[in-house]
Amino acid sequence: MNKIKIFVISAVFCLVGLNMNGQTDGPNKVGLKGFLNGLDYEVNAGTNIGGAAPLPLPAEIREINSYSPNLNLQIGATVTKWIDAKQKWGASVGLRMETRGMETKATVKNYGMAIIQNGEELSGRWTGKVQTKYHSQQLTIPITAVFRAHPRLRINLGPYLSFAFNNDFNGYVYEGYLREGDPTGEKVSFEGESRASYDFSDSLRSFQWGMQGGVSWTAYKHLLVNANLTWGCNNIFVSSFKTVTFNLYPIYLNVGFGYLF
Amino acid sequence: MVLYDKASAVRLALLVVLTLFATSCIKDEEPNTECDILSIIFPSDILLRQPYISDKPEKMGSGESEKVYYSIEVMVKAGVDVTKLAPEFTLTPGATISPESGVERDFTSPQEYVTTSQDGKWHRTYVVTVKKEEPPVELQFIKYGFENVKTESKFNRQYDVFYEVDADDSEKVTMTWDSGNSGFAWSLIGSTVGGSPDVFPTFQADNGVVGKCAELITRETGPMGSSFSPPMPIAAGNLFTGKFVLNLGNPRKSTHFGEGILFRHVPLYFSGYFKYTPGEVYKAINENNQFVAVPGKTDECNIYSVLYEVTDDMPYLDGDNVLSDDNPNIIAVAAISAEDRKGSPQWKEFRVPFQLRAGKTIDPDKLESGAYSLTIVMTSSKDGDYFAGAIGSCLLVDELEITCN
Repeated sequence: MNKIKIFVISAVFCLVGLNMNGQTDGPNKVGLKGFLNGLDYEVNAGTNIGGAAPLPLPAEIREINSYSPNLNLQIGATVTKWIDAKQKWGASVGLRMETRGMETKATVKNYGMAIIQNGEELSGRWTGKVQTKYHSQQLTIPITAVFRAHPRLRINLGPYLSFAFNNDFNGYVYEGYLREGDPTGEKVSFEGESRASYDFSDSLRSFQWGMQGGVSWTAYKHLLVNANLTWGCNNIFVSSFKTVTFNLYPIYLNVGFGYLF
Repeated sequence: MVLYDKASAVRLALLVVLTLFATSCIKDEEPNTECDILSIIFPSDILLRQPYISDKPEKMGSGESEKVYYSIEVMVKAGVDVTKLAPEFTLTPGATISPESGVERDFTSPQEYVTTSQDGKWHRTYVVTVKKEEPPVELQFIKYGFENVKTESKFNRQYDVFYEVDADDSEKVTMTWDSGNSGFAWSLIGSTVGGSPDVFPTFQADNGVVGKCAELITRETGPMGSSFSPPMPIAAGNLFTGKFVLNLGNPRKSTHFGEGILFRHVPLYFSGYFKYTPGEVYKAINENNQFVAVPGKTDECNIYSVLYEVTDDMPYLDGDNVLSDDNPNIIAVAAISAEDRKGSPQWKEFRVPFQLRAGKTIDPDKLESGAYSLTIVMTSSKDGDYFAGAIGSCLLVDELEITCN
């Protein structure tokens, strides 16, 4: 993990370094320098607010009792190449290290679940409360098209690819009851303080992809205010994982600031 | 220009929020899938005890005609005409029952009911057995020899269930003991421990004083036991008259001591044989929910019997109140001595009198009307109900006897 952190930091510095070169370049150059000429460099930081959510919510979920986005920090860098002379259209590629996480408590009814211990499975229907904690550290590469709608406002849209290098998905069930097997099975009550924990971290997928879209507002000459929505297109779990019967998609709003060189 | 762009940004944001909202609404609740009989209602003046509705699947028939059912036991007073009873039921909301609530049936033999869930997809078969109170017979003692067991299965693991038979008719089951074995089966999920009865805390063993005996061992629970919070690291061997209904939130409420037992004699002495070796390291759960050794402490067993009055607010005793000094329902207690609780490497006989609690008497009228129940409780770790004890503590019990007046 540390290696990856170092890699990200060096990547950011490389981009900053590129920018130094860029600044020294005059207009109307050809070749590499000419290509670099139409580039914008940005370093940014922000926070992710969102969660891994089933879409649409299955009928088994009766109530979301609590939700906390947790503090999900993100740092990154983006390079934008303007295509036209007016710098209205462009393409961006970025690299960011980010945390996606959430903590929820939900009330479910007749929710198909399995408690797995060392490969032995106890399946049943759970009615009651479920606490879930999702925490994933990822390296994300967004590739987006950029449109300047206003001298100070840019809109971007495009796909992203994420590699998760640290994944946690765990929680516990409480205040409810399990019907062993099916709804006619023996009822086992979890009352008071009693909890049964689960941990599906090993079943989270490492690669995710999705779409990202958002706006970037140039508040001051160098200061950007960014808001991007990232919408995961694949289930956060590997396809062989059947315990959670519905797909969970990571959907996050990233809000932060950028420094434009 | 600036205004326009602000507006479009707001529009975009709104679009995003609306999309999220539209796809994330809580859906309408689906019809219930459960089909439980929650209660069975008879005129209260005919009942001797609250009916007992079992949630434990049982099997009848064999081969293709095998089916799962759930039993309901009803104890009615002497003189009640069981040929014409019309029980009413309360069910899981939306569920239906056939024959319907209030239909008169002949309960001379057990009667079957089938429930259907609100969504129509699930069914449960219940068998209602009405037991008529038999007039009390003169008897000097009641003996328990632990010669009979049947095996029950849970999560592909088998455990022993002790039962007693009529002295004159070995086919007639007079009483079934219960234990925490079915709860222990839960804790074994994912364990590499096998599934035979002798890995459970309570099972039948050879080499009793006469024939076979009951063996109770304090066991370490499996992976599930420790994954619970608060943890349930051990399960003491236990055996008692009554019912075990697993309650994970409050394990001491799982043991329904004396439930379904009718006692109509004046108990004088509680006697029997036992052999006890405490396990090596006594452990308990500390304030940080860790199961740690308690230096200087040695495990103890316990064997006792309690005569108590059944009331509407206390239809049975449980782990929280079975020995409580301030429990108003307790009439008399017979327990082995503090010295005996520490153990005996050889079989040892005990004989202890039932001692009336201060201010309590055995009312002949209540005895006659069936208001009393008696429970016998044994455990290999006295504090096992608080998950304190020594793994490996082993108690053997045989030839228990209640001497009556």
